[in-house]
Amino acid sequence: MKFSDEMLMAYADGELDLVARAEIEAAMAVDPALARAVERHRAMAAKLRKAFEPILDEPLPPALAALAGDEEAVQAVELAAARERRIGFGRWQLPAWTAIAASVLIGLFVGVLLTRGGGSPYEETPEGLVARGELADGLEYGLASLPARSNVKIGVTFRHRDGRPCRSFTFRHGTAVAGLACRGRADWKLELLADAPAEDGDLRAAASMPAPVARLVDTVIEGEPFDAQAESAAVASGWRIAPNVAE
Amino acid sequence: MSAKTPADEIRDALGDLLPRLRRFARVITRNVADADDLVQVTVEKALARAAQWRPGSRLDSWMFGIMKNAWVDEVRARRRRERVLAPEEAGATVGDRSAAARDIALSVQAAVARLPEDQRIAIALVLLEGLPYKEAAETLGIPIGTLTSRLARGRAMLQAILGNGGSA
Repeated sequence: MKFSDEMLMAYADGELDLVARAEIEAAMAVDPALARAVERHRAMAAKLRKAFEPILDEPLPPALAALAGDEEAVQAVELAAARERRIGFGRWQLPAWTAIAASVLIGLFVGVLLTRGGGSPYEETPEGLVARGELADGLEYGLASLPARSNVKIGVTFRHRDGRPCRSFTFRHGTAVAGLACRGRADWKLELLADAPAEDGDLRAAASMPAPVARLVDTVIEGEPFDAQAESAAVASGWRIAPNVAE
Repeated sequence: MSAKTPADEIRDALGDLLPRLRRFARVITRNVADADDLVQVTVEKALARAAQWRPGSRLDSWMFGIMKNAWVDEVRARRRRERVLAPEEAGATVGDRSAAARDIALSVQAAVARLPEDQRIAIALVLLEGLPYKEAAETLGIPIGTLTSRLARGRAMLQAILGNGGSA
């Protein structure tokens, strides 16, 4: 009788029912090659277990050891870790932490920016802080692929989990700020504003998306960012892209 | 209130689970620093959505599933970042273990690291963590036939890399 290698593997892993097991064992008794194949599977499994076994005995790093402790320790470690985390690990954040950071930052910046007066690019509305003037225009019509003639430079455009289109941006307004804005029915609501690192006194916008913005993008994005084509289509449609096409 | 919440139960189990989560993370990420970050994120997520865990069902496979998904998200986010971030930021490197240790364990680990991610994960769940095929397939949200074929292909490839002898 002929058995597939998958079948022999399942036998070696103890996954076959009684009947199949008996069949294989009967065949193995008369076919040494079959017995060797089963033995190979078992040996491989044992070799793997042995090779990865030592990891179980490695001492836990403090951050992980604290996780096994009480909640206070967990939170203390999270806060410390959030401060120290490398930029490459934007995703390694609790959404809750990001949200807190976002609201704190918005609070800080609104205080500064609203007092500048005169054609402010921000307006407080019942829905929250929305973009006006040059910033609103940049968000509405700007393209990441086109060199910015305005002070607004677009980074990534993507769909929020809640369906709204969103864009990260850098905006030169006195000092440079970076942020994330999402399109409501008519306005661009500012989800986050943060300090943009100045580069050669020039805006290289998307390239210098600050960590808090990158983190928020990672947290709220649905799927992949728009490519150039989807981006221009969204601009051309006046952002009337169906909230949930795939129902 | 003296009844334990699901989050309490998860925390209680963590002492035993953490070493296994680390081992699984090591297979997925192939890297010590990433693995420990991944474990941390997995625990945070598990505690945050503890209410979704059905007490009585296997906590280990539930958390392995969370970990695998967290890694998929992370890889996606990294690809995106490579597109949007400046080179010095995108290049954040991760610690590479010194190549000094050259024992068998390492060569087996290295062989596993060369497998495609799907196969690595299937092998880790079944052969290292001892999940039954059915449980492993459910954890990954794939049909059992897909799981067994990933397992079989992964093993065949390991066999080819490590040689057919039973001992290395």
